[in-house]
Amino acid sequence: MMEEPTLYELSVPGRLGVAPPECDVPETVMPSELIRADNGLPELSQPEVVRHYLNLSQRNFGVDTGFYPLGSCTMKHNPKINEQLARLPGFAAIHPLQDDETVQGALALMHDLQEWLKEIGGFAGVSLQPAAGAQGELTALLMMRAYHAGHGEAGRNVVLIPDSAHGTNPASATMAGFIAVEVPSDRRGNVDIEAVRAACDDRLAGVMLTNPNTLGLFEERIEELVDLVHGSGGLVYGDGANMNALTGVARPGDLGIDLMHFNLHKTFATPHGGGGPGSGPVGASTTLAPYLPGPVVVSVGKREYALGAPEKTIGRMCAFHGNFGMLVRAYAYIRAHGEAGLRGNAIHAVLNANYVRVGLSDRYPVPFDRMCMHEFVCEGRPDGGSVRALDVCKRLMDFGFHPPTNYFPLIVPEALMIEPTETETKATLDAFLEAMLQIADEARDAPELLREAPHQTPVRRLDEVRAARELIVQEPKASSLGV
Amino acid sequence: MRIGFLINPIAGMGGRVGLKGTDNVVEEALRRGAVPVASGRAAETLYLLRSALDHKSQEKSVEWLTCSGAMGEEALHEAGFGAISIVHEVIGTPTACDTLAATRAFIKTGVDLILFCGGDGTARDIASLTKEATPILGIPSGVKMFSGVFGVTPARTAEIFIGFLAGDLPLARVDVLDLDEERYREGEWAVRLCCSAHTPYEPTYTQSAKALIAESTDAAVKADIAEYLQEEIWARPQTLFLFGPGSSVQAVVESLGCDKTLLGVDALFAGEIVGRDLNEKGILQLLERHPSAELILSPIGAQGFVLGRGNLQISPDVIRQIGPENLTVIATPAKLKRTPVLRFDTGDRALDAELTNRRYISVVTGYRRRRLTSVMQ
Repeated sequence: MMEEPTLYELSVPGRLGVAPPECDVPETVMPSELIRADNGLPELSQPEVVRHYLNLSQRNFGVDTGFYPLGSCTMKHNPKINEQLARLPGFAAIHPLQDDETVQGALALMHDLQEWLKEIGGFAGVSLQPAAGAQGELTALLMMRAYHAGHGEAGRNVVLIPDSAHGTNPASATMAGFIAVEVPSDRRGNVDIEAVRAACDDRLAGVMLTNPNTLGLFEERIEELVDLVHGSGGLVYGDGANMNALTGVARPGDLGIDLMHFNLHKTFATPHGGGGPGSGPVGASTTLAPYLPGPVVVSVGKREYALGAPEKTIGRMCAFHGNFGMLVRAYAYIRAHGEAGLRGNAIHAVLNANYVRVGLSDRYPVPFDRMCMHEFVCEGRPDGGSVRALDVCKRLMDFGFHPPTNYFPLIVPEALMIEPTETETKATLDAFLEAMLQIADEARDAPELLREAPHQTPVRRLDEVRAARELIVQEPKASSLGV
Repeated sequence: MRIGFLINPIAGMGGRVGLKGTDNVVEEALRRGAVPVASGRAAETLYLLRSALDHKSQEKSVEWLTCSGAMGEEALHEAGFGAISIVHEVIGTPTACDTLAATRAFIKTGVDLILFCGGDGTARDIASLTKEATPILGIPSGVKMFSGVFGVTPARTAEIFIGFLAGDLPLARVDVLDLDEERYREGEWAVRLCCSAHTPYEPTYTQSAKALIAESTDAAVKADIAEYLQEEIWARPQTLFLFGPGSSVQAVVESLGCDKTLLGVDALFAGEIVGRDLNEKGILQLLERHPSAELILSPIGAQGFVLGRGNLQISPDVIRQIGPENLTVIATPAKLKRTPVLRFDTGDRALDAELTNRRYISVVTGYRRRRLTSVMQ
């Protein structure tokens, strides 16, 4: 495929894309010091611009073009009706500064979504404020801090984080003013409970747990772990990134989780990964709900809603009401599926992941080889050979599949983290398995084929180290190209 | 680019025959049926290098300086390399003297990197001459490789080498360890930090789900640890801080704008260095004047000794005076990854038990970051 030139390379002096209408107001002379001789803008015709961007768009890869088993990201299908609903003028054209009375429909939607997330998570309260998963983490940790300070225990400044956790966990803990203490995993891929026990003292603020964890495994001793932390005065935060495995099946609140963020853009199918902003509502137990960020929507009469603040709120996490468009999509998703549908989705997500795990485990070692949840992690070294996970990923692109998450979690060497989601058919999973097994054969018989992959993409393998070291983020001006 | 290359042909021979090393016991190893392993491991690296350089049509970009025969020349020829100069002639069975002589010749001629195949002993011999001037990189072939200059495998070493040639890898300062093999054979760890060396540092560039995470160098991680401890130290002007040996600890003190001896124990009080390269007596005298004290140490990589190796001046008396709870252990995540357990061997059993009964130590690994690391009981 030919390389697409940049707009500056396509630029021809004097070419016009639009002809502005005649000026119908008196002209004013612009101050001379504000006039630039060369404004560095490319000059193209309209069809050239249209073709340029359309060509680029056709090289994009998204969940709408192919299978996207990016572990821990839940790249499930984003139902198109949700897009239509989010674009209804009553949702898309309202302004957050409008009087409450004029946006009762939007408030009713937010209220119902809060209630449903409370029910799904087993929580006493939910705030829709956080605009992303990591902001949800930060929100929960700030609530944790406020809770301890409110109980005269501001000295609790240690947050335990398993070494399999998402990298955002320690970052959020540090941002919230805590000391992030990493906890090793045990041989079954669970949190080393003895290490947690050793850290349970009067400095413990809480623990950040992802369940199922990033190995796709259910924490087998979660109740013991929660009791241990609660017993020493700490709180348990749940990272809801992997909620797609549990929705409708188990409720984190029932497991003793005090605080948790939801990823609407994962579990509830709102577009993400370049397709839209995230949304990370936080749920809290009875004890913690008063600390939730506001405003939250409260019911003040029969089908009448207002904005209110929880009693001991930590304040706002963002302007206005979070990413409202995503709230509409998640609302539509939950309504469309209902209780039984959500439960069925989780069960199918787990089934699909186990189907792929079993299909690959003979060739790609699975270090914690037990029943997985919605995803699993294997080593991207087929048969223990010399090719690396990165080579396998690059080769997968030749087969038209998006590579899985790789080199994460950090505790598995050459990790490939595969999350098929429930929206894929068996035929798609079989095609993926076939490609992966063929790649394993190639790794044995023709490793160079993998090391030089991809072969079928518009751009061949990039030098990632150079890309990171020699960043060029600015388009050279047209004039500097001599055009 | 000019590369000095040498193989210690006897390296690793003692391992499989239970000799825990090959220093001074090569005849015993041969008698026990040991077979040379180093040349095979060097060949693996060289073969991969050769094909990588061919692939990039860069074969001519490397000029090899080496020793005659089994100490380098043969392996380079077999791998198909052309531009080879012999800078050291080996007469008879190669010994450590040949390693030293070859290293001197490399330094004299001026090489960009010394690539060697051997173990800790070989690394120690070479680094004792290069210090931090000429970078060195080891193909792992010894019985023990606790120094930080080795690739994980021969293949990985080739990748690091290629990265270095391409100018993609920064240099890192790492510890080279000196292990007394005689005593080690008696079942005793007798390790001391020999010196520091520079080695091409292979960063872990991880492509995560959402973005390419830029690599962080060893130096950057040490700077993070230093920044964190700096805050703690400034917040406690009435506390005496004692700093143990090693480059991680040195980085902390340097971040405070002070000099630190690499191998000694130095003391800091109210922002000033109040003792350098202290012995036990010197430390105890300082503790009399400043009873509130904190000890900052880094474990020996891989083995995990926090106390009792390379820092004997921090005696049981000193530790009791400071209080075992006032011990801060620091380590970069990379070092900790190679060091699954921490150990204490102060020579005082009761104290060791007190230090290890917590089972886990919260090791500082970055800015406001720690990792619970288990302690060998």
